[in-house]
Amino acid sequence: MSNRPHKILLVDDDKLFLKLMVQVFKKSGFDCDTANSAEEAIAVLDKHNPPDIILSDYNMGRMNGLDFRKRLMEDDFFKNIPFVFLTYFSDSDLMIQGLDLQAIDYVIKNTPVNVIVSKVNNILFAVDKQRELSEMEVKKAAKSLNIKSIPKSVPTAKGFEMDFWHNAFHDIPGGDFIDFIRVDDSYTFVVLGDVMGKKWMAWFFTFGFLSYVRSAVRFAAFNGEYSTANILQQVNKVICYDDVLKDILSSLSLLLIDSETGIITYSGAGDLPLLHYKKSENKVVHISSTGLLLGLFADGTYNEHQIVLQPNDRLFIFTDGMIDFVDATGKKSDYNRFASELLNKLEAQTSFTDIKTYFDEHLPDQVDDQSIIGIYKL
Amino acid sequence: MLLNLQIKDANMGHADEFKTQLTNLFDTHNKKRLILNLAEVEYIDSSFLGALVATLKYAISFKSDIILVGLRKDILNLFSLIRLDKVFKIYSDFDDALAK
Repeated sequence: MSNRPHKILLVDDDKLFLKLMVQVFKKSGFDCDTANSAEEAIAVLDKHNPPDIILSDYNMGRMNGLDFRKRLMEDDFFKNIPFVFLTYFSDSDLMIQGLDLQAIDYVIKNTPVNVIVSKVNNILFAVDKQRELSEMEVKKAAKSLNIKSIPKSVPTAKGFEMDFWHNAFHDIPGGDFIDFIRVDDSYTFVVLGDVMGKKWMAWFFTFGFLSYVRSAVRFAAFNGEYSTANILQQVNKVICYDDVLKDILSSLSLLLIDSETGIITYSGAGDLPLLHYKKSENKVVHISSTGLLLGLFADGTYNEHQIVLQPNDRLFIFTDGMIDFVDATGKKSDYNRFASELLNKLEAQTSFTDIKTYFDEHLPDQVDDQSIIGIYKL
Repeated sequence: MLLNLQIKDANMGHADEFKTQLTNLFDTHNKKRLILNLAEVEYIDSSFLGALVATLKYAISFKSDIILVGLRKDILNLFSLIRLDKVFKIYSDFDDALAK
């Protein structure tokens, strides 16, 4: 549940009553928006900063409370905001009409104002609780189905050390997905993707993308074909033809670690360039791929890079949430700023565990899911 | 069609509405080419980028196009990092786009 104050929209053509209500609700910790008519309320409503609840008089000038409610019911967004009628009438027909319009409750205007506030608080508590329970139910269902878009542990790949750090936006699973697929002692695939979107909706689609990536990797391995570009192209083609996923886009970084040769093969789909920290030169270099986002065009123009890490070199793969930050002037995306920040840490010989602690402590102004995978050459 | 996108923070909250309005625009204006000015946009999140790219995909499906102008340096840089500069035609402003 959020700790921010609840916001209420109070709609009434009685200016004096409205003023009284604002005073009482503000005293109880609410943020208040007001409107003197239903028409003004419609103009005031903002999808980007909506109220948590609407308390509206029934008997108003041109558009009455019922018609106001009807208008809101036509809007997929506003119809879900709890709506309470405030009226001098206790007419049962009016109540039935209102309940047909999914008004949550009625409050008779003669009710003491502190009781009105309590009633509104109770409704909001119930709504918040219901939302919390729904999220818990989804999390429980996902857990029981054993579906995960972020792994619990990291396999070993001879000659390398691998680890990752992931931070879900507002603690709700989102569009980032990570996987390590160990084929045998020689080959291990590393997968990092980011479905465009946030929170539950994006999280839901990660499983579609992950299933295709896992299948394509397994088929390629069965056939002894270890081309990351071909695997990406296969996944992309299937997604372009998938009725559910074809309008959803995702970035993907796919790497294949060959423990025998020490070579890492990399292909990317609309992902950010990887960062290769060269220990001997104490610098980071960008490794960019040419591939386009998965699901965009049938030919994703995927290429392949062969990366050779020298002992103590490190390779970082990350999603765009890592380069986003907030400063006094607003939100920004700055890849180079993140690269220099990482270089500063690496110059101090920092292990990935230290880097994870650093991210936990220094990336609080998060605006998206954040994921980074580190591959260290031993 | 020339269109100014008057959003400072183009994020998830605007993404669905943007996609719906743009696809409606294409449907009602006989599927013309759209030039979208992003000069007022200071930040784009991945949800909004997804909506923008999905709308381009819709436009391309009937051989139309979305052309972007007025991108701030950091947003242009992000487009180039994730190869969206290969997907969208990008020009400095309306005049430049119309001249090409």
